[in-house]
Amino acid sequence: MVEYFIRRLLLTIPTFLGSTFVVFLIVQLAPGGPLEQQIQALKRGGETAGAGLVGEQALPKDAIEELKRFYGFDKPIWQRYLIWLGVWKREAKSYRIKPGVPRLVGDNERLILVKEGESFVLRNADDPSRPIGDWKWRQERDEETGEVRYRVYREAYSGILTGDFGRSYRFRKPVIELIAERLPVSIQFGIISFVLSYAISVYLGVQKALRHNTPFDFATSSAVFMTYSIPGWAIGAVLLVLFATDRFFPIFPLGGFEDPLYADFSLLEKIWDRAWHFVLPTIAYTAGSFALLTMLMKNSLIETLSQDYIRTAFAKGIREERVIWLHAMRNSIIPITANIGYVIGIFFAGSYLIERVFDIQGIGQLSFEALVARDYPIVFAFTVISVVVTLIGSILSDLALALVDPRIRFK
Amino acid sequence: MTEIHSQPTEQSSALQSSSEEILSIQQRRWRKFRSLKRGYYSLLVLLAAYIVSFLLPLLVNNRALVVHYNGKTYFPAVRDLLDLPIVGQLGGTPFIAGEELGQVGNKSECNYRALKRQYEQEGKGNYVIMPPYPFGPIEDISVEGNEPFMPPLSRTAFGELRLFGTDDRGRDVFARMAYGFQISFSFALLVATLSYLIGVPLGALMGYFGRWFDLLMQRFMEIWGSLPFLFLIIIVVSIVRPSFFVLVLLLVIFSWLGIAQQMRAQFYREKTRDYTAAAISIGVPTWRILLRHILPNSLVPIITFFPFAVVGDIGALVSLDFLGFGLAPPTPSWGEMVSIGMDNLTNGYWWLVLVPLGALFVTLMLVVFIGEAVREAFDPKTFSRLR
Repeated sequence: MVEYFIRRLLLTIPTFLGSTFVVFLIVQLAPGGPLEQQIQALKRGGETAGAGLVGEQALPKDAIEELKRFYGFDKPIWQRYLIWLGVWKREAKSYRIKPGVPRLVGDNERLILVKEGESFVLRNADDPSRPIGDWKWRQERDEETGEVRYRVYREAYSGILTGDFGRSYRFRKPVIELIAERLPVSIQFGIISFVLSYAISVYLGVQKALRHNTPFDFATSSAVFMTYSIPGWAIGAVLLVLFATDRFFPIFPLGGFEDPLYADFSLLEKIWDRAWHFVLPTIAYTAGSFALLTMLMKNSLIETLSQDYIRTAFAKGIREERVIWLHAMRNSIIPITANIGYVIGIFFAGSYLIERVFDIQGIGQLSFEALVARDYPIVFAFTVISVVVTLIGSILSDLALALVDPRIRFK
Repeated sequence: MTEIHSQPTEQSSALQSSSEEILSIQQRRWRKFRSLKRGYYSLLVLLAAYIVSFLLPLLVNNRALVVHYNGKTYFPAVRDLLDLPIVGQLGGTPFIAGEELGQVGNKSECNYRALKRQYEQEGKGNYVIMPPYPFGPIEDISVEGNEPFMPPLSRTAFGELRLFGTDDRGRDVFARMAYGFQISFSFALLVATLSYLIGVPLGALMGYFGRWFDLLMQRFMEIWGSLPFLFLIIIVVSIVRPSFFVLVLLLVIFSWLGIAQQMRAQFYREKTRDYTAAAISIGVPTWRILLRHILPNSLVPIITFFPFAVVGDIGALVSLDFLGFGLAPPTPSWGEMVSIGMDNLTNGYWWLVLVPLGALFVTLMLVVFIGEAVREAFDPKTFSRLR
């Protein structure tokens, strides 16, 4: 068993590499990728680029150079991918330098480029006898002016495997920081709706199974079908119009995560305000997964209830609640536990539509805006994270299945 | 002894039931399906709506059905019939300049509603017959009389009824909703069919032949399945604005997976059955075993899944359109209508959100009802329960 899960975990490595490579290829090889876009914007003289998409703007030149270095656009694609992963060296630190002029390269270290014969030699500016570590230098030519420049740089392994997702060029911050800022909001919604959808669907599924083919069953079935077929964000949009706009019943806020004056509120007001903002989005989030789970729960319980051992339990005179919740449920929750991983994946990856409808500043919204603005480091980070979540989700599903079903022995 | 005796009685009972009618399994399924009223009527309604939607240019259009001008007769709307978004302009452009029909100084497309009023005023025997609902899905504020944000059931300055009002560019919401149905449904049917055409054979081969092919494809599908597909489609669409068919293909690329998985499992299970072994041992060619022996036994789960695949694909298209990464504007699409409505949420233009989403809800509900009935017809489970 343990062996199986260790093997499963190891097998996710090639899958992870495969899917990240696909993502990498799609984004990098597509015409009009990040760099091309920005260079074109520059050529147009810094005016807004593209078809006037939100937030799209020209980049300063040094930002483009930084991008170029970060992605290694002069290198072949497989090398770029390895660099991006962090298993190939990339130019981690890089400074422009003028021959004969000392250059501060961090940590009070100053380097100087000295002419020696035909070529140059890099030395420590303060004490030429001190070693310069792994700093290197090279010559480069400015594409526009043809001017020769020099650059000192240091190579390092730095990529997604070392936790370096690069810097967002819109926010001028490391992507990890940005995601860490937005993650709590998304996770709060994710956890609340995860718990809610399981709680509701188990209870409702059991009730529907016990009252199979009664008016209660038919009535709730319609609701379940509706939430099954309609995307969660669409339900959210309808709820917003009905319960947040002035036209109908303006009960709930129009969107967002908290009141603009949230910081000035007392604790009680804060809790109230947060709950108030949570109601509609939570319904939208929950709607997506609860229908499937409810039907699974109902069908599997109905099937269990028609089995002989349940008949035996009833025949022995055991109370109905005990038969259902103790005897039947053990077998009936198996299918819905197998869905845990899938549901986790949905809450994570499918959230940007709902976040957009409710204007919640979570990571879905962050990565969607990044996509529109071609802020590729964020886009990459989001896809990598959602691939990882999907993979972990499928292992979690297996694990949960093994926990609730003693018959299952993975080999 | 008992066996011998039981033989004739069994036969006679079979004879008895056959005197009523012998039904093939398909006939029995169809009967069962028809007896499930909710699903059956949903199918009839949806089928009727879809067929009628191909005649939309004659029912909901800003171009006239018939124009009679100075002895000549024109049929501008008929040409639109062949101009549905999924077919392309087969019938040539339906464009007729206003000047040609007597709208003095109008070199652009004729405004047929205005033309009708003009002819009636002139009284020279010329006439225009408009479709029952005389507004098109694409004509906007540039046409005289179209105003943005007209509420539902309001009337234009010339007294024409706007059933569901107009949007931010003065386009008719009812017309866009109706044409949006045609596009969404065609789109979903196409995506689902194509992904079946890819998924079924691939899954079948994986399940039947196994070995390296299965192993390789399994790894590939695992990778493919772990990708955030809506997000990737958005990335691709943001780079190249796709046409209707390219968008269909993009969705197919990601949606054949589930079907292939299903088929693989089915074929994997069926090939170990005795009837397959028997077929192999008497030398039935492989293709025949695949097509005639195993396939019919493997189709039930994926046939019952088809309506739900359609539901998923409609949802995917509406979601993409809502984000602005679906069909190119000005294609009438429900998702785009909702996004306009959401942008104007605080202004009280509720119909911009509720009309397209209402249409979406009704359509998806009908498809889900059909799906439930199909499932029950194919897989009738009777639950006996003791208390």
